[in-house]
Amino acid sequence: MSNKESFHVQLRDVKGTRKSRALRASGLVPAVLYGHGQECVNLTVPVKEVDAMIRHGSRVVELSGGITETAFVKEVQWNAFGTDVLHLDLTRVNAKELVDVTVRVELRGDAPGTHQGGMVNHVLHELEMMCPASDIPEKIDLDINHLELDQSITAGEIDLPKGATLVTDKSAVIVQCSEVHAQPEETGVVDTSAEPEVIGRKESAEEEGSE
Amino acid sequence: MAMMPKRVKHRKSQRGRIKGNATRGNTVVFGDFGLQAVEGGWIKAQTIEAGRIAAQQYVRGEGRLYIRMFPDKSVTSTPLETRMGKGKGEPDYWAAVVKPGTVLYELGGVTEQQAKICFARLAHKMPIRVRLVRRRAV
Repeated sequence: MSNKESFHVQLRDVKGTRKSRALRASGLVPAVLYGHGQECVNLTVPVKEVDAMIRHGSRVVELSGGITETAFVKEVQWNAFGTDVLHLDLTRVNAKELVDVTVRVELRGDAPGTHQGGMVNHVLHELEMMCPASDIPEKIDLDINHLELDQSITAGEIDLPKGATLVTDKSAVIVQCSEVHAQPEETGVVDTSAEPEVIGRKESAEEEGSE
Repeated sequence: MAMMPKRVKHRKSQRGRIKGNATRGNTVVFGDFGLQAVEGGWIKAQTIEAGRIAAQQYVRGEGRLYIRMFPDKSVTSTPLETRMGKGKGEPDYWAAVVKPGTVLYELGGVTEQQAKICFARLAHKMPIRVRLVRRRAV
């Protein structure tokens, strides 16, 4: 199970793009806390604590400082390069409350199918599931030591943690071992004269001809 | 064979400007590692193909390579020693318009060390600065 991180938050009364940018420049991440029918609260979280939460794969955090609450990290907004966190969405949560969460699937072992000319294709990297907030797994390890050639493992075959129910379609393929197809050979000659078909061009030419 | 669209509405397009960063196609989706553009630019269909070959030769049958860009912009040029006027030139090549942050290629089924070597070979073919990114957990 993922560890519970703690955020030392401060209440935030500034809003807007410019002020949020100024907050980020000073090492704070704007966040919002909502849920359980209570009022929405604007917060700031130190960026070091946000980075630690992401590094450890935690999803449930203990808030202290400006507000004392247990919260679930519902959404993390990143910048265009995926290097900095721009904003956090936090929802109030109880330990036994079921939350909708996506958990990443990691492959473990060596598939025998790869020794028979196959290649392991990891199709689905994340599973969506409902599980108690206190028992959110950091990741799901999927053993592929029995994956033969032309076999696949579906979402329904995965052992979920206790109390968790699958939201993803049970028939969705997580991983498959399929034969390697030969790559098209490079001829070295590139046909630059070929042009794509222009939509509607033929019809208009015919109309002009009939008139 | 270099990539190009099968059907288009118009043969020629205006040049346009690359403004801002990529808000879509900027995360690793299919593989485990990605090659992300740090700056914007046009990438020719032939360059995309050259990158694919460079990566594929290293990966062989072990990993899987995904191309996340497509050359859907036709670029025209006028022949040499042509006088002014006489209209826009004929389509010369196809290019993908890349904004900073776009993930250009992805690799799956390889170790990080292999991905680093593979993308280093591939990056030499690219006309823009690129960097390696990993799949994001959250």
